[in-house]
Amino acid sequence: MSIVNILIQSTLVALYLFLAICIGLLFMGIARKVTARIQNRVGPPIYQNFIDVGKLLAKKTNIKHNWIFDFAPLFALAGVLLALAYLPMGGYKMLSGTGDLILLLYIIAIPALGFALGSGASANPNAGVGVMRALTLMLSYEMPFLLVLLALMIFYNTASLSTLLEKQMSFAWGIVALPISALAADIALQGMMMEKPFDIPIAPHEIASGPLVEFGGKYLGMLMLYSAGSVVLETTLFVDLFLGGGVVLNPATYGVVAYVVNYLVWFALIFVVWMIAVFINAVFPRFRIEQAFKFYWKWPTVIAAIGLAQAYIMSVFLGVIP
Amino acid sequence: MKAIEIFKELGIEYEEMKVKGNSTPRYRAKVEPDKLEEIIKKFKTQGFKHFVALSCVDWIKEGNMELIYHLFSYDTLEDVFLSIYLPRDEPKYKTLRHLFPQIETYEREVHEMFGVEFEGNDRLGEFILEDWNDMPPMRKDFDTVKYVKEKYESVPLVEGRGDKQ
Amino acid sequence: MTDNPNPLPSIIPEKDWKKIQRMLSKRSLWMIHFCTGCGAMEMPPTMTSRYDMERFGIIPMATPRQADLLLVTGYVAVKTLKRIVRVYEQMQDPKYVISFGSCPINGGLYWDSYNTIKRLDKYIPVDLYIAGCMPRPEAIMDAFLKLMKDIDEGRADGWLRYRKYYDKYRANQMRVFKRWDE
Repeated sequence: MSIVNILIQSTLVALYLFLAICIGLLFMGIARKVTARIQNRVGPPIYQNFIDVGKLLAKKTNIKHNWIFDFAPLFALAGVLLALAYLPMGGYKMLSGTGDLILLLYIIAIPALGFALGSGASANPNAGVGVMRALTLMLSYEMPFLLVLLALMIFYNTASLSTLLEKQMSFAWGIVALPISALAADIALQGMMMEKPFDIPIAPHEIASGPLVEFGGKYLGMLMLYSAGSVVLETTLFVDLFLGGGVVLNPATYGVVAYVVNYLVWFALIFVVWMIAVFINAVFPRFRIEQAFKFYWKWPTVIAAIGLAQAYIMSVFLGVIP
Repeated sequence: MKAIEIFKELGIEYEEMKVKGNSTPRYRAKVEPDKLEEIIKKFKTQGFKHFVALSCVDWIKEGNMELIYHLFSYDTLEDVFLSIYLPRDEPKYKTLRHLFPQIETYEREVHEMFGVEFEGNDRLGEFILEDWNDMPPMRKDFDTVKYVKEKYESVPLVEGRGDKQ
Repeated sequence: MTDNPNPLPSIIPEKDWKKIQRMLSKRSLWMIHFCTGCGAMEMPPTMTSRYDMERFGIIPMATPRQADLLLVTGYVAVKTLKRIVRVYEQMQDPKYVISFGSCPINGGLYWDSYNTIKRLDKYIPVDLYIAGCMPRPEAIMDAFLKLMKDIDEGRADGWLRYRKYYDKYRANQMRVFKRWDE
């Protein structure tokens, strides 16, 4: 590969990641507007989050704890960018490998863990409580989510994301083939995105926004970019697993047009997934952490187990092989 | 047991108080400081299980400090006020926190606001007023207007603009 | 640490950069309300659907680290002042203070109280006062708009004053505090 190719490739990757962060900020703004309309308010303009990030990054920042604390926002942002690079957005995949579905599971945990490390280093008791809650919540939703992934891997007989997308395009979307698993995954997604009723780790009224309590100024701006990235990351994860990643045209036959169309379809699909989460978020109160834990290990786990059984029966006994 | 019966049994003089718009029976009795502990114990065993408040009045002309122990009974729905008088120059009394634990907090407040010493209470000290360095402020001979002028009005205003933005 | 507060290279001149920063910070005021007195009761209607301050980008924040705007709602006792100063010093520059109601202006109802400081401006710089006992939500919204205008024109310079005259402010604070535990 020549140097020009590498340059083009890296520019494309940077563009994709930048677009993903922008989409995340826009989505957060839309969520604020939609929530405001549900609550019969006018609400901020949808570009409000861009202003917020700009203001935070322009602020003077003078918080001194230790180097882990300084490192944490970078860690979180870099982790989420790496995870985004592994996820196909609209069929375009930047980094690839075999078995990257399992790799992705580990990478998704990196930003959250880095974030937890930094807030733990601030030695604020509220941050400690928040981190503890965040890790417990992670433990709760990963149980059904792993079962869902297992069902997908058994049914599509692959652990590679690009193969998964191809098979979904040629056979049927995951939500059509495995609707029960999709339901469990969507419930797990609500906890993954820390939307109500699972916004336990960052409960502003109980523990003063939890892990974020000591972050301010530029640090908080960086963490806002991180959360914007993770909005796109988590919705894209669902879309890639169950909605075919938005791939409707095959790039091999249609070329650049296919990329544009796929990107637009992907955008519409993640918007739908995000809106479902926002609507649930707008009308629900908050669980306590042990209620969330019990809930996740009860209903979504049962649903995911049924989905797993369905995938196994379909692929082994009925011989449906995509 | 009704409050009147307890008073008669103990042989204390009491007076009934009338409050407009409130029909709860209220009794007020002046008792000797030495006997107060026994009397409160008696009331506690006879149904007056709720210690409502401990308040203090500064009678500057008589030269007295009045401590009022306020008890309530849920059985008979009666209020009882037991008051003792202490010399104003050196008000000193013993703690009663072993009878009702919440008395400790009231004693801390009375100590801070009126300067009454409670022997045996080891938690007297800085409580609500932080950084206080004058006489107890609820005493009648404390001149608040003068204090405000000296302490707060005399603080100079910081003049001047900031650097140009 | 270098003295250059400008994180961008000099493509954008210093003056224009500050103007951009002010433009951004006026549209996104994150507020921490220090509910000392009765004024806290006027905040819920201002936040919720009737008056809805979120349409100007003003949202309540949980911690001083994240906030730009400190709202002191009511009388300030000496004990409270210590906490207010701490909260104020934990906020990141640029930061603004609105004092709310007549009590932080001249003592209000508590003009002869032994334990409330009379004028908040002597201890921390106040950018804007809202008079009234209590100010209605309309007055609060008006104050927010006024503050946004002041920020835009560069007149809300309380944080710069606090930096420049820090010794004087600290001397004033220490006249009412006996000690400052840090």
